[in-house]
Amino acid sequence: MARHIAIVEDEPAIRANYVEALTRIGYQVQGYASRPDASRAFALRLPELVIIDVGLGDEPEGGFDLCRELRAKSAALPIIFLTARDSDFDIISGLRLGADDYLTKDVSLHHLAARISALFRRLDALGRPSAKETVVEHGPLKLEAERMRITWNGVEVPLTVTEFWMVHTMVRFPGHVKNRDQLMREAQVVVDDATITSHIKRIRKKFIAIDPAFDAIETVHGAGSRWKP
Amino acid sequence: MSLRFKLLLIALSTLALPLAGWLFVRQMEQLLRQGQEQTLIATANALAQGLDALGVPLPPTGSALYVQRAPGRMVVDGYGDDWNLLTPFTQHLGPPSAPGKLSLLLCDDTEWLYLYASVRDATRDRVDANDPRASSADHLTLTLQRGDLTRRYLIASAAPGHFDALTLGDASDNALPTIVEGVWQEDGSGYRVELRLPRAQMPDRLGLGMLDSAQRVPEPVDTLPLLRMSKSLSTQLARIVPDGLRVRLISDEGWVLGAAGALADATGAKDARRRWLEGFVYRSLIAPQVSQAANFAPSLPRLDATEVWQALSGITATAWHRGNGEGDVVLAAAVPLKAGGEVHGALLLERTSATLPLLTNRALLSLGGASLLALVLAGGILFAFASVLSLRIRRLRNAAEQAVRAGGRSEVPLPLTNARDELGDLARSFSRLLEESAAYTDYLRTLASKLSHELHTPLAIVKSSLDNLDHQTLPADAQTYVARARDGAERLGAIVRAMSQASRLERAIAAAEPEDFDLAAVVRGCVDSYRPLVAPRRLDADLPYDAVPMHGAPELIAQALDKLVDNARGFAPENGWIRIALHATGDGARIAVANSGPPLPPAMHDRLFDSLVSVRDASVRGETPHLGFGLFVVRLIAQAHRGSANARNLEDGSGVEFVLELRGMPRRPLAGS
Repeated sequence: MARHIAIVEDEPAIRANYVEALTRIGYQVQGYASRPDASRAFALRLPELVIIDVGLGDEPEGGFDLCRELRAKSAALPIIFLTARDSDFDIISGLRLGADDYLTKDVSLHHLAARISALFRRLDALGRPSAKETVVEHGPLKLEAERMRITWNGVEVPLTVTEFWMVHTMVRFPGHVKNRDQLMREAQVVVDDATITSHIKRIRKKFIAIDPAFDAIETVHGAGSRWKP
Repeated sequence: MSLRFKLLLIALSTLALPLAGWLFVRQMEQLLRQGQEQTLIATANALAQGLDALGVPLPPTGSALYVQRAPGRMVVDGYGDDWNLLTPFTQHLGPPSAPGKLSLLLCDDTEWLYLYASVRDATRDRVDANDPRASSADHLTLTLQRGDLTRRYLIASAAPGHFDALTLGDASDNALPTIVEGVWQEDGSGYRVELRLPRAQMPDRLGLGMLDSAQRVPEPVDTLPLLRMSKSLSTQLARIVPDGLRVRLISDEGWVLGAAGALADATGAKDARRRWLEGFVYRSLIAPQVSQAANFAPSLPRLDATEVWQALSGITATAWHRGNGEGDVVLAAAVPLKAGGEVHGALLLERTSATLPLLTNRALLSLGGASLLALVLAGGILFAFASVLSLRIRRLRNAAEQAVRAGGRSEVPLPLTNARDELGDLARSFSRLLEESAAYTDYLRTLASKLSHELHTPLAIVKSSLDNLDHQTLPADAQTYVARARDGAERLGAIVRAMSQASRLERAIAAAEPEDFDLAAVVRGCVDSYRPLVAPRRLDADLPYDAVPMHGAPELIAQALDKLVDNARGFAPENGWIRIALHATGDGARIAVANSGPPLPPAMHDRLFDSLVSVRDASVRGETPHLGFGLFVVRLIAQAHRGSANARNLEDGSGVEFVLELRGMPRRPLAGS
């Protein structure tokens, strides 16, 4: 049965494009133009994944409100923010509300699809027993690739899909410096240097929140970042 | 030239004041003089009429011989030594063809009338007076006339020394001397005769003739009246001359016949030095054209001044000359003495005029003092005014420059904006201008991020549409266009990202959490990673071995370094070089990135680090767009580290150097991090 995805986007051309593209991939996609429309529909039935634009018509932060609403209804519902806004502040706000990823609109459909399938994969993996799970363990770090789940000293680190992929890239070859391009490719995003840096910083902070002594991620200025072996 | 000195120069225009005053004083002095001249002329005319009323005989007209007063004891020896003082007034009696051939001097004392004649005659024919040939040889004939009696004497001598003149004709009457004797002296150029006659036998008229044996021209001898300084005339003049005036009666040949009165001495009790100064001021500023006093000296037997000759020709004349005292001026007026339409002589009247210089000097000095005071006062006021003015202008300029440097934003308001004068207007205009400039700068600063934000959505439409198009079955040749469209969209995306870079960075800086790190390690790491990027250009690094501690955001500094190196790479030719140097400074560090290549345009030095400013050739298209954000970002990062970013051309002209001065971010309380 096709997975049900909802797209809340006020720009009809983009909405149509996304709906068509995701439909082609095999999802069952429903587009909504405004927050009230979406809210009404979600009251009847929750989709399995929601893609939300932050600015919705007259409501500049309508996406955030909708996200809050949805998170209240379901803690596990994957939510992706897709927006023209690209400031760190917006990203942090969005992620704090419990979004699973935050993408700027210049992300390609291909990358978006990769994320969606990754999120569904994780959803599936969580529902299944962890029998044939690929687990990478590195010191206190435990990385479950299928579930896209990382724990540090047994505590789960709440990473977005993008962040998970970055950590995954570094952890697969500890000690190797992963430069911007590699991280970008693995994380399936096209962003600039500063954004990569802020991603890395954010990841580090999330680890530090669990373990203040965390220093496994090292930045080699001018080169990139690596996981300390 | 500064405003102050310009105004001081303008203050010099008050110098016209004393100039005008000086001209005025001169005018006044001239008027005063004219009045005095008129007065003196009137007095002189009155004197002339008085003389006429007294029945004073007028001097005869025509030629005359003047008997001077003996300067001392005269020795009759044929030598002219004792006549030296009188020789300037020698009278020439020679023939019209050679007037200097025979010259005569006469003088008298209480007893004698002395005669000194000198003849130029190089061809001598010497005989004695009683020689029969005497009448045809060189000789002099002296004719004396007294009343009706006339007697002639032949003077000749064969040798120098004493001679006896041969009395011609009857010698019985005692009224004239019967025997004339004297001394004869001679030299190669001629001979001289000196003789004396007793005053008792003094003639009225005298004639002296000569015969040069070489020329043998018979000389008709006229007797001429004898004129002398007359005591009786002087007495009569003294009776009519007012006090303080000097009067002289002059014959029609300029000989002084009578004199009376004396010039009042106006020296007074004044300080001599002061009088000298006043005299100097008067002479040099007011009356520099006074005549020579020597022409009017009282001892002169003959006056040779122009004014005297003018009077003798029948026209009244006045002259100013210096007096005895310092600063004195003497006014002389000469009026002709006429009888029957014929000028018989002139009356020269002189008066010291001490009040005139005094008055004019006083006027001049007070004028000078007043104008000097005015000059100093005006100069001082103008200087003070100009100082205040230029001080205000400088304050305004400094404030404006500072505000311009700060990009139109100034923490302190411009000075003078409350002033009500033109400077206040200027300050207000500046202030408005700066506000507009600041607003414009802000607009520019945010324009890019606003624009990029707005462009995101249409770009997303294009990209998602292209993504969708990939899944349509398109003819093969249409695929090319899709690829091109995708390429264009990618580039557009890069541009949009670059445009929002600055604003994102500003937020990143605001959110940056400064940490302590070793700047040298960061730069070293960066340099290593640049090597493959900048190849084949040479990359030199000048980094210290010791750690360079810095408090700040290493990733931001690395980013700034990225921009600088990227910039350097863009300008350095393929065979060029890039040099990265790091030095610890007193309270921070200095990173310099230099590259070979073309120098910066001079006008761009200051603006290079502004937003949207790029010196790159627009025709050179790299893989990334250059919108002029890179160096702006560098500056933002430098400023975040309390430093600055500067660009300059290398002194040897081989390239350009960008310098980043960093002092570290301000430390925050630990609780905040």
